[in-house]
Amino acid sequence: MNRLHNLLYAGVAAVISFAALPGIASAEVTVLGWPGGSEETALRAAVESYNALPGTPAEDKVGLLFFNRDGFYDKLQADLAAGSDAFDINVIATYSIGRYAPFMEPVDLGADAEKVFGKPILETMQFEGKQYGVPTDLSLHFMYYRKDLIDALMADQGAKAKYAEISQKYLGKTLEPKAPDEWTWDDWAATALYFTKSVNPDSPVRYGTVLQMKNLLFNMMVFQSLPRAYGANWADESGKVTVDSPAYRAGLELYKKLYDAGATPKDSLSYEYPETNAAWVSGQVATALQWNAAASELMNPEKAPAVAEDTAIVAPPAGPEGRKDHIHGLGLGLNKNSKHKEGAVRFLKWLATEDAALTYAKAGGSPALAPSVVEKIAVDRPDLVKLGQFAGSYGYVMRGATSAKALSIYEVQAKEFTAYWAGQKSLDAALSAASQSMTDLLK
Amino acid sequence: MRTIPQQREGRLLLVPLVTFLLVFLSFPALVDIVYALSDVTFQTMRAPELVGLRNFGTVLADPEFWSACWFSLRFGGLTAFIECALGLALAIFLSPIVCRYGWTIAILMLPMMVAPSMVGLMYRLVLHEFAGPLPYYLTLWSGTSPAFLDAGHAFWTLVVVEVLQWTPFAFLLFHVAYISISSEIREAAAMDKAGAWRILWRIELPMMKATIAIALGIRFIDGFRVFDNVFTLTGAGAGGSTTSLSIYIYQSFFKGGQIGQAVAASALLFFTSLIVLYAGGMLKSYRERRRVAA
Repeated sequence: MNRLHNLLYAGVAAVISFAALPGIASAEVTVLGWPGGSEETALRAAVESYNALPGTPAEDKVGLLFFNRDGFYDKLQADLAAGSDAFDINVIATYSIGRYAPFMEPVDLGADAEKVFGKPILETMQFEGKQYGVPTDLSLHFMYYRKDLIDALMADQGAKAKYAEISQKYLGKTLEPKAPDEWTWDDWAATALYFTKSVNPDSPVRYGTVLQMKNLLFNMMVFQSLPRAYGANWADESGKVTVDSPAYRAGLELYKKLYDAGATPKDSLSYEYPETNAAWVSGQVATALQWNAAASELMNPEKAPAVAEDTAIVAPPAGPEGRKDHIHGLGLGLNKNSKHKEGAVRFLKWLATEDAALTYAKAGGSPALAPSVVEKIAVDRPDLVKLGQFAGSYGYVMRGATSAKALSIYEVQAKEFTAYWAGQKSLDAALSAASQSMTDLLK
Repeated sequence: MRTIPQQREGRLLLVPLVTFLLVFLSFPALVDIVYALSDVTFQTMRAPELVGLRNFGTVLADPEFWSACWFSLRFGGLTAFIECALGLALAIFLSPIVCRYGWTIAILMLPMMVAPSMVGLMYRLVLHEFAGPLPYYLTLWSGTSPAFLDAGHAFWTLVVVEVLQWTPFAFLLFHVAYISISSEIREAAAMDKAGAWRILWRIELPMMKATIAIALGIRFIDGFRVFDNVFTLTGAGAGGSTTSLSIYIYQSFFKGGQIGQAVAASALLFFTSLIVLYAGGMLKSYRERRRVAA
């Protein structure tokens, strides 16, 4: 009998404990952050500062929640669609705002937010004219190149002649080497071919570039700046899909030409971010179009001892329409089902202040800040100056890239474009299929 | 003859199981049926609009669905056959060693202990031209290394990865079946002057027939529904070249947001499996009846 009573008490205690758990959780605002990497480190530092502020009430203290990056957006989608209130604030990205907007609430960040970030950057977190989040990190692409190799090429007359011969043979025009900051996409391609062992046996490295060609939506973001420099857009002003255009053809053909010529590793059709970094740090690659986030790894002598000292960055090369750099932001926004909206909005507003942005940046985050703000941290974070400069000068978002189906459009392009690069489809067939699918998605 | 209180007790004891099945299987099945017959997105999950069999029609008319089916069939069939052939050979030829040193089984089982997604990630590293040991040594010895994961080779690379991980499973089944055969039978056959090959073909393999069929079946099902290692190693592959049926369903659901179509595809897979299993059962009964009649 005593045993039965003990079991009963234990059961009641367990039930009370479980019932009390949400109450304990409700004592703070929960933020679902982007896991791993500099974003998590920076958010932890910012939250620590916020919680330590004398004016932060105990019930508004912020707690953090992270889960794995793999399938993150799918899990977030499922959680939001299920009406989860396990978090009050969650990560959003420029290309997924439209998908998540029905499950989120717009926030008013106050007039000072524009002074901190600037209007174009705030717009990366807007959908249908409403602000859905604070832009915490900006992602764009740098053209990484080996300074030692390019300097040697520029100083060698014999090498210049070989360069001209290769560019004529593969690109149909005689080019001469230029400084990377003056590159057009053709100059970059000629440089990549010149530094390819199978094209030029005297090349000191195995490959002229490393292309991320895996059937993956993020790789399409990297690729996008090439056709954009030739004037590409997803749709025209009337909403008609314009992917089957000379601009996309030029970009797709150039990638295929480099792949077929062996200017990029043979397995590039399975390459994404980490494979590209691994190729770069091996010291066997001359150029790479890669995410800005990789700079801390590729230019760090401890992580990339073979190449860090010789790695330099410029904005992506120019096309007939100038230089273009695909930008998208990561940010934090308000869950519609939040049980602590007041506290959550309070934290979001603080996050949009100058103090918070500088704290976040000092801790390793990559916010795109207005020139007057970024200069206060330029000594500690010189890369942020370049980030803001490239975003301001060359940044673009394709028409339709914040729609509810933006992610699906990147997926469609990844599938069709990789089919062309792999030789499974003709260019006409791939573009026609992409055009058809994009039209269905952008209806 | 059971008494009425015994019958009541039996029913009472079944209540938890039936409740579990109703809650955890019937409800999701019901939701799946509704979604398969509806136009539904993440935004309208709580208010799906019934559209009849339209999703089934869309899926059946989608060439990518058939291409995914073909990939899964080829992958499942090939890997099941190779794993069972290798597992059988290993079970027979290593039998004296494994029987004498039982601990060797633990080593042979190791690949099975790794999660398939981890295996995929591991091979991404192993096969990487600049970080992986395999391309490194191939380049060192022959001056070049093949593109293991390009559109032309990805399928065979995936087959090898799957076979390396799951052959131990087939080996384990065959080893148990092989050592279960009475040594007296083998001795009797040997006394009748039967050689090793004859004993293998005429006595051992026929006695292991049921195990071979089960191993083939289990490995085919596992290969057919492959997801984790393929997804982490090549994703859907260039132009969708490594899209298995599971990846097709996952992509339709999460990436495409076409929930109705994804659920319709999974329902088609379920019904097809049911028909195949039922047909298999019927065939077995038919052969059993013929055997008894003979």
